Amino acid sequence: MTTNVPVADVAIEEQPKENYLNCSKGFWSWAGTLDHKRIGVMYLIGTTMAFLTGGIFALGIRVQLWSPDGVMFTQETGLAGYNQMFTLHGVFMVFMFIIPAIPGALANFALPLMLGAKDVALPRLNLASFYLWLIGTGFAIYSILTGAVDTGWTFYTPYSIQTEQSVVSMGLAVFILGFSSIFTGMNFIVTCHKLRAPGQTWFRMPLFCWAIYATAILQVLATPVLGITVLMLAFEHLYHIGIFDPAYGGDPVLFQHFFWFYSHPAVYIMILPGMGVISEVVSVHARKPLFGYRLMAFSAISIAVISFIVWGHHMFTSGQSEFVMMAFSFLTFLVAIPTAIKEFSWVATIWKGSIALTAPMLYAMAFLVIFSIGGLTGIFLGALSTDIHLHDTYFVVAHFHAVMMGSTALAFFAGVHHWWPQIFGKMYNETLAKISACFTLVGFMVTFLPQFMMGSQGMPRRYATYLPEWQGYHQVSTIGAFILGTGFALMIGYLVHSLFAGKPARENYWGGATLDWKTATPPVHTNFDEDPVVTTDEIYDYSFLSEEKGKA
Amino acid sequence: MLAFLPQQQQEPLQGFDSLGQLPPAASTFAPDVDGLFYFCFWISVFFFFFIAGLLVYTTMQNRRKTETQPAASNVTHNTPLEVVWTLVPTIILMVIFAWGWKGNLDQSIAPGDALQYQAIAQKWNWSFQHPGQKGFTPGEFWVPLDRPVKFTTHSTDVLHSFYVPAFRAKRDVLPGRYQTVWFQATQEGSYPMLCAEYCGDEHSQMRAVVHVVTQEEFDKAPWNARPEDPIEWGEQLYNQYCTSCHRADNTGEIKAAPNLWAIWGKEEELEDGSRVPVDKDYIVESIRYPQAKIVKGFTPGANKYNAGAMTAFSSALIPDEGIDAIVQWLQTLKD
Repeated sequence: MTTNVPVADVAIEEQPKENYLNCSKGFWSWAGTLDHKRIGVMYLIGTTMAFLTGGIFALGIRVQLWSPDGVMFTQETGLAGYNQMFTLHGVFMVFMFIIPAIPGALANFALPLMLGAKDVALPRLNLASFYLWLIGTGFAIYSILTGAVDTGWTFYTPYSIQTEQSVVSMGLAVFILGFSSIFTGMNFIVTCHKLRAPGQTWFRMPLFCWAIYATAILQVLATPVLGITVLMLAFEHLYHIGIFDPAYGGDPVLFQHFFWFYSHPAVYIMILPGMGVISEVVSVHARKPLFGYRLMAFSAISIAVISFIVWGHHMFTSGQSEFVMMAFSFLTFLVAIPTAIKEFSWVATIWKGSIALTAPMLYAMAFLVIFSIGGLTGIFLGALSTDIHLHDTYFVVAHFHAVMMGSTALAFFAGVHHWWPQIFGKMYNETLAKISACFTLVGFMVTFLPQFMMGSQGMPRRYATYLPEWQGYHQVSTIGAFILGTGFALMIGYLVHSLFAGKPARENYWGGATLDWKTATPPVHTNFDEDPVVTTDEIYDYSFLSEEKGKA
Repeated sequence: MLAFLPQQQQEPLQGFDSLGQLPPAASTFAPDVDGLFYFCFWISVFFFFFIAGLLVYTTMQNRRKTETQPAASNVTHNTPLEVVWTLVPTIILMVIFAWGWKGNLDQSIAPGDALQYQAIAQKWNWSFQHPGQKGFTPGEFWVPLDRPVKFTTHSTDVLHSFYVPAFRAKRDVLPGRYQTVWFQATQEGSYPMLCAEYCGDEHSQMRAVVHVVTQEEFDKAPWNARPEDPIEWGEQLYNQYCTSCHRADNTGEIKAAPNLWAIWGKEEELEDGSRVPVDKDYIVESIRYPQAKIVKGFTPGANKYNAGAMTAFSSALIPDEGIDAIVQWLQTLKD
C-alpha cells in the first residue's frame, strides 16, 4: 500500500484502550447517550437504513420502466403502485437520508472534534434531534402501512388535497423530520460560535465546519417554512379551509411558492455538507492545503444566502410573470458562480499534490466528475427558453440526481470511508472499497446519461408508461441502476464485515492535519485527553508526515 | 390513448436531430431554443473534459509513491488564476442568461393575429376547441401550417401541463385560472402532446396528438368528422374518455370504476343497498352528475384503484347525441 502513514512503529496494543465505544455498555448507554459521537453512529445506522429503503424503491422504479407499458404495474392492473413507489423513493431519500445524513452522522462525529470541543454545545438537543428523526420516520412508515402517498415528494396541490388520507400522516412525518433538522442546525451554529478551541479563529476552522455552519443557517431559517406549509396542507386536506384548493377559493400555485421557498434552500442543505466533506477528503488524500481557503469559505456562505432567492426557477412554466422569471433566472446564474469557484478550487487542491488513490479519494474524485455534470446541466435549466422545454422531463431528473445522488450521496460515502477508521477503530477491506467506488461512478454514468438524453427528447418525469421510442434509453438506465445497487450492496457488506473482523486501525489512519485526527483512534469519551490549542493559520500543514520519517 | 389513430401516425416522434438529443424542431422558436441548448451543451462538454482531464493528468503525474512523499507544490493562492476562474464563468453565464431571457420573451407573447383555441385538461384526457367549433374534440387537434395559434387552457381538477416536445412549448394547466400558450408550427406532420405535470394514476397515459396540416386541409375542419354509425361513435367516445377507469369486457375484472360489460337492462346495487335499473336516464345521470348514484364498492377510496371520484362530463365535452351513441354501443355489450 502506498497510502499508509508512517506510524507503523506504534505497536497496536493487545487490550483495546478505553474509548467512547467501549467506555459503557448496555442499551441505555446508547439510547440515552449524550455523546455526540454515539449519536453520530446512531444517525449513521439510521440514515443508511433509509438510504437502502429508498434504494429498493429506486430499483423498483427502474424495473417498472424496462418496458413501455410497464412491468410491475400496467394500465390493466392500475398504475397507482408506481406513483407510490417514486413518491416513497423521493421522500425517503430526501427527508430521511440526504438532509440528515452528513450533518447527523458525519458532522455530529467530526465537527466537535475539529473544533477541539468535548461535545456539541447542546447535547440533549442533539439526542432529541435523533429521536425526532426516529419518530418522523415512524410516521412515514405508518403512512405507508395506511395506504401510501402517491403525490410525489413535492406534495403539489390540489392533487395532494384530493388524494388519500395518508398524505396527512406523511405531512406530519415531514413536519417532525423538519424539526429534527432545525435542532441539528441550531446545535451546530451554537457549537461553531461557542466551542472553538483556544486560538481557533473563524478562519482557522476546517472548511467542513464552514460548510456545516452555512448549512445550519439554512436549516434554521428555511425549514420552518416547510413545517408551516405541510401543516397548512394537512389542514386543507382535513377541513378544506381554502388556502390551496381552487374549489374553495384557494390558489394551488401558492403551495409551490411556499414549498420551494424551503426546498430550494434545502437543495443546498443537501449539497453544502457534501462540499465540506470533499474539501477535507481531497486535502488529506492529496496531502496539500486547501486552495483558496477564504474564497471557499465565502463561497459557502454566499451560496447559502443566494439560495434563498432562487426558488422561482422551479416554477418557470407555472404562469409567473415574465419579469419575475427574468429575475429568478438571473439570480440562479448568480449562484452558479461560487459553485464554479468551489469546483475549480478542489481541482487546484489536488493539482500537484501527493495523490493517494484511496477509497475516500476515489469517491471524492467521482464526486468532482459527477458534480461538474450536475452543475453544468444546471445551466440548461437556469436559462429560461431551454428550461421551458426541459422542465419536468428526465433531463431534470438526471440533473438533480447528479447533484443529490452523484454528489451528496457520494460525498457522504467518501466521508464515511474517510472517517470510518476514526469512528470505529477498525479498517475495512480497501481493495473492495476501491472496486465499490468504481462501480458507483460507472453505475451513475450508465444510469443517468441516458436519462439526460431522453429528457432532452421530451420524456416527462413521473411516467409509469412511456412512448416506445424511449425504451432503449430506459433499459440502459435500468442496467445502470443495478450496477449502482451492486456497488452499494458490496459497500454495506465490507463495512459491516469490518466492524466484526476488520483489522484495528492505526492512529491517524490517513495522516490528517486537522484536530479530528489529533486524538486517539477511536477517540476517548471526552474526545481529547488534553484540551487542544490552535496556534497557526496553517491548519492543513502536512509537513509533519515527511519529517517524522526523517527523525526515525 | 393513441390507438384510435391510423397506424402511420402512431410513431410521431421519429426524426431526432443528428446528435439524437432533441426532437424534431417544428415551431418558429424551436431553432432558437435548440441553438441555446447546443451552446450550453458544447460549453458543458468542454468544461467536463477540461476538469476530468486535469484530474487524470495530475493523478498520473503526482501519484503518491512513498509513504512520506510530500505534495509537489504547496501553492494555496494565485490571485490572477482565481480572478480568471471567477470572471470567465460569470461572462459565459451572463451570455446564456440573456439568450434564454430573450428566447422566453418570444415564447411568452403571442402575435395579435393568432388563431384562438381552447384546451381543457382533466384526469386523464385533453379536449380541444378549434376556432369556430361548437363543443370540443377529445385527444387530438389540428393547426394550420405557418400560422400562430394561441391556446387558452384550464383544468377541471388538478394541475396538468400542456407540453408538445416538437414545438418546445410547455405551460402548466391550472384549475381556477386561465393560462395561455402559443406556437407557430413550421413542419407538417403529427406530433405527440404529453402531460408534463404529475396528475395521478394515469398521468403517463394522458397524451394527445397535434396534427399540423396545410391551410387547405385545415379549412375542411377535420375535427368535425365523426363516424356515421352511432355504435362506432359511441365506442370511440368510450375509448377517448372512459378507458382510464372503466373496462368493458367479459373478464369480470375492474379498474377504478365498474366494468361496463352487459350492464344494460340489469340493476346496479348502490352503497345504501337500494337498486337502480341501468337505463338511459341512469347513464345520462352517471355521465353528467357521476356523484348522484355510486355503485356499491366504488365510493372514492373503496378499492385499491380509485383514489378520487369520477369527473363530470359536460355537454361541451360529450354532447347529448354522444350519450345517445354511447347508449347504443352499451347495448351491444353482451355475451
